[in-house]
Amino acid sequence: MKTLLRFQLNGREVAFEAPPHARLLDVLRDIAGLTGTKEGCGEGECGACTVLVDGRALNSCLFPALEADGRSVVTVEGLASREGGLSELQQAFVDEGGAQCGFCTPGMVMSAAALLAENHSPSDDEIREALVGNLCRCTGYTQIIASIRAAGERIGKAATQ
Amino acid sequence: MAYEYHRSGSLEEALVLAAGDDSALIAGGTDLLVALRKRKRPAPRHMVSIRSLPELAEVSEQAGSLHIGAGVPMADVLANTVVREHLPALTAALAVIGSRQIRNVATLGGNLCNASPAADSAPPLLVYEATLELAGSSGRREIAISDFFLGPGRTVLRPGEIMTAIRVPLPGAGAQSAFLRRSRVAMDLATASLAAAYTARDGKLINLRLAAGAVAPTPLRLRRTEAFLEGKPVAEETLAEAAEIARSEVAPISDLRGSEWYRRELIGVFLSRALRPRSTRMKGSA
Ligand SMILES: Cc1cc2nc3c(=O)[nH]c(=O)nc-3n(C[C@H](O)[C@H](O)[C@H](O)COP(=O)(O)OP(=O)(O)OC[C@H]3O[C@@H](n4cnc5c(N)ncnc54)[C@H](O)[C@@H]3O)c2cc1C
Ligand code: FES
Ligand code: FES
Repeated sequence: MKTLLRFQLNGREVAFEAPPHARLLDVLRDIAGLTGTKEGCGEGECGACTVLVDGRALNSCLFPALEADGRSVVTVEGLASREGGLSELQQAFVDEGGAQCGFCTPGMVMSAAALLAENHSPSDDEIREALVGNLCRCTGYTQIIASIRAAGERIGKAATQ
Repeated sequence: MAYEYHRSGSLEEALVLAAGDDSALIAGGTDLLVALRKRKRPAPRHMVSIRSLPELAEVSEQAGSLHIGAGVPMADVLANTVVREHLPALTAALAVIGSRQIRNVATLGGNLCNASPAADSAPPLLVYEATLELAGSSGRREIAISDFFLGPGRTVLRPGEIMTAIRVPLPGAGAQSAFLRRSRVAMDLATASLAAAYTARDGKLINLRLAAGAVAPTPLRLRRTEAFLEGKPVAEETLAEAAEIARSEVAPISDLRGSEWYRRELIGVFLSRALRPRSTRMKGSA
């Protein structure tokens, strides 16, 4: 039996039917067609599936889709502008070489988005701590941290101008 | 995995649903959904969600105790200023549980009710002598956390019973506490952990409580070690003798996280690190 589920997805009201055991990840990828969010382990270990629910980073592979009802969900697609322009954070990943194969990147970007929303100028240790739940098999951590640091600086500058 | 999913709107409703046949409670789901996926347990017919039940969502200070709703995500417990100021062992434990993504959904109640011997919130709550508030269809009761765990995955919870809150007496002025833990890598479960709470008066240990994780079928109070150390000054020889008692008081197994021998050694090392005066204490691995 499917249940109707309504929530805000990247700023728009959406409604989908989902079976009771569907994960938020399944609804995003298979029903909403937003394949930016990746599935690595499916068990909360790798962070490739990270999205924001009510502003908080969580693993969409461990989040029952029905729990998204009435909430606000932001995926990596939601960070870009409606016209497709990249956000400062996404652009910083491009500029600093923060992506290699790119599989972990959407999750990294979402964890970083949650961090930067509360702290524009995180230290490298704070960045590392925020990324404990995001694994990169290409081991590009140094550039990922540089990307997030650069994004924080740009956002901070924009805010003081 | 063909279950029905019920989002309960109130504690009363959840208790009725949970009392039904073949139902399982789900809070943050970070233990339960992984266990189902790995087929470590059969799927229930009815999944009863207690996520964001208002009755389980509050953190408040009441008459010298901190009342923490069982459904509060770890991240919110960790951000609470009373927790950070008065409960350093709990703060240190929560800070290393999983990742931010996990702590944003995983609950304190779920960590205890899942009853893993390695549940990181358990040793601190044991040394703070927390009281657990339980609600069932036949009424409410309270139980000391030291009476809660029965074995791996087993607790005194009756079928359909819901933990509503964890009540932690706030330690008095001068009380100290610490949590030490070793894991192989970040995001791994503890190989062993130890929490300690005490007051140092004239260089002597007063009201000492010790609890260990991942070294027995349940999280464990180290009562023999406590009794040996109570009222004694912290001297190297005393600590060495206490470490010996602690090593014999735990009952670890060997598994992929560490051997039985290594786990006993860790408990001895954690004990002296936790109790040495601050100036000489090595920085904890937390
Ligand atoms: C990647 C990863 C890393 C992790 N790292 C750690 C770690 O470092 N340390 C650690 O201790 N744990 C860790 N865990 C385990 C887990 O996240 C915690 O145990 C968590 O606190 C469980 O809470 P939950 O709300 O998600 O529980 P759930 O999965 O919802 O529930 C767990 C069990 O408790 C029962 N239950 C839940 N709430 C109640 C209640 N209020 N009353 C009665 N029964 C209830 C459920 O029926 C279920 O059987 C990790 C898990 C993952 C996936
Ligand atoms: S796919 Fe969700 S954490 Fe790996
Ligand atoms: S860029 Fe390949 S996994 Fe991170």
